[in-house]
Amino acid sequence: MENHKQVEDKAAAWLARRDSGIWSEVDQAHLTRWLEESIAHRVAFLRLEAVWDETRRVKALGAGRAPGTVPAPGEWRHAPFFESGRQPYGAAVAGASTPSPADDVRAIEQSLQAASSPSAEFKPRARRWRLIAMAASLLLAVGIGGYVAFSPAPDHFSTPIGGIASVPLQDGSNITLNTASKVRVDLSPNERRIELQQGEAFFEVAKDPKRPFIVRIGNKRVIAVGTKFSIRRGEHNFRVAVTEGKVRVETVADSAASGDTRNGVRALPQASDAAGAESPRNSGLGEAFLTSGSIASVGDDGIVIEEQPRGELEDDLSWRQGYLTFHDKTLASVVAEFNRYNTHKIAIQDPRIAAIRISGTFRAVNYKAFIRVLNDGFSIQAKSTEDTTILTE
Amino acid sequence: MEETLDDWFKREILAHEESLVRYLFRSWSRHQEVYDLRQDIYVRVYEAAIHSRPLAPKSFLFATARHLMTDRIRRRRIVSIDAVEDLDALNVMIDCISPERRTSAHQELRRLAEAIDHVPPKCRETIWLRRVDDLSQKEVAEKLGIAQKTVEKHVMKGMKLLAAALYRNEGGLPPRGEVLIAKDSEAEHGKPQTG
Repeated sequence: MENHKQVEDKAAAWLARRDSGIWSEVDQAHLTRWLEESIAHRVAFLRLEAVWDETRRVKALGAGRAPGTVPAPGEWRHAPFFESGRQPYGAAVAGASTPSPADDVRAIEQSLQAASSPSAEFKPRARRWRLIAMAASLLLAVGIGGYVAFSPAPDHFSTPIGGIASVPLQDGSNITLNTASKVRVDLSPNERRIELQQGEAFFEVAKDPKRPFIVRIGNKRVIAVGTKFSIRRGEHNFRVAVTEGKVRVETVADSAASGDTRNGVRALPQASDAAGAESPRNSGLGEAFLTSGSIASVGDDGIVIEEQPRGELEDDLSWRQGYLTFHDKTLASVVAEFNRYNTHKIAIQDPRIAAIRISGTFRAVNYKAFIRVLNDGFSIQAKSTEDTTILTE
Repeated sequence: MEETLDDWFKREILAHEESLVRYLFRSWSRHQEVYDLRQDIYVRVYEAAIHSRPLAPKSFLFATARHLMTDRIRRRRIVSIDAVEDLDALNVMIDCISPERRTSAHQELRRLAEAIDHVPPKCRETIWLRRVDDLSQKEVAEKLGIAQKTVEKHVMKGMKLLAAALYRNEGGLPPRGEVLIAKDSEAEHGKPQTG
């Protein structure tokens, strides 16, 4: 069978030609023949035809505009059709009747909760749209009237073991929380302050040079303007992986600025020994820049930066789809990963099997499948109780 | 007048594409195969519907998806450790996966306008003039000072890009604001808690 791309290309070519108006009965006969050749052709054609029909709706956006002119992207938001949904500038600032940004954040929480219950099919969607509309109207207000002061109370988001959650922020950024993770979000007019209190998170930062996006982890800060990166907390250090753009890592020198009570934070010492033999580059300074494709391990004794092939980085982030991807990792480290995602814990009793190398992709919460594979593939014995599994040779 | 099979297919099956693709991404670890899987699933559903249209189209669509994935796993000669899709995981509750896409006309339009904003400029102008102002491809060509064949190419490309954007299915990530329920059988664990 042809692959979906080839079929889609042909279907689009037929539709575009029919749309040209130069279309004879012979053309129609050819199209009919092509459609009857295989059902794959027909379904691909129907799929694109449905979308093309749908685009007819945009006519509504042309109202009140001189025909034949194409507005700039985004300008349609000013079309009469959308006018009623906009918030007047003044109302967004202070009006008591207008929901505050803090309400937005709370509503997001509600929608996140509602969305995970099967019965709540319609509601969360509606709320989310309200939120997006409101975020857009706030942006608009900023654009027209200049600076809008809002300073919502900080909010906390967390996931249980095995959970993943996507947290859209009111500035257009998005945080994806991995298993057993916790963040505190505080968006102020000058700064977007996030604290990763536990676990791991992936940050997609909306560009806003005037409001740096700052993630605090203990006495360190990771600062971004517009970029994508993830941070995973360990016991004594944390890992930063940058997939897009650039971030800066620094130690918090001024405890007053950080807003917490920790005192006596010291700058990172020169730690030439911390890098070890396997690290290509070691920044002993209290500050380091990380560019796209790099992974850094940050601890009190220094920052170790490794350049990674993009594939490895992707493996590292496959948790966002609910998968764990390993390349030539020891069974011990793979088991440790599974234990992060499951309340059912796996233990290795036999040190001889701990060093077995594992590659593969697994669903993070399906430890049972993983154990089955160990059994089938490596003849590892598993003894399970309700909440633990012991692996032996 | 009785609805044609094609119209039925668009309304009852294609309308679920966003959920379907997300389901495939989560159930099938070889992400590069997802769009071909989608094609095969549509073919199977359409074929079945020629004989008789299923009463519960959405469930039928997802059941077909599940069977097809199961078949593919069984057909593999060598089950490598790299491809451990496990069959249990495919038995998720479909309704947990995503809320239906039922939005108001207003929201649909916004979404469409946003999708159009994201196609390349020439392509966007073409779609706008063709669809909003109802100019023919020939008139669009004159207006933009380009060959008519080029306009046809823009239409072709625009159609594909809009399909991807409106079904939100290029790329494996869940769309912003959705909750991924990691533990399908125990959906309540997936929700974030506020504190």
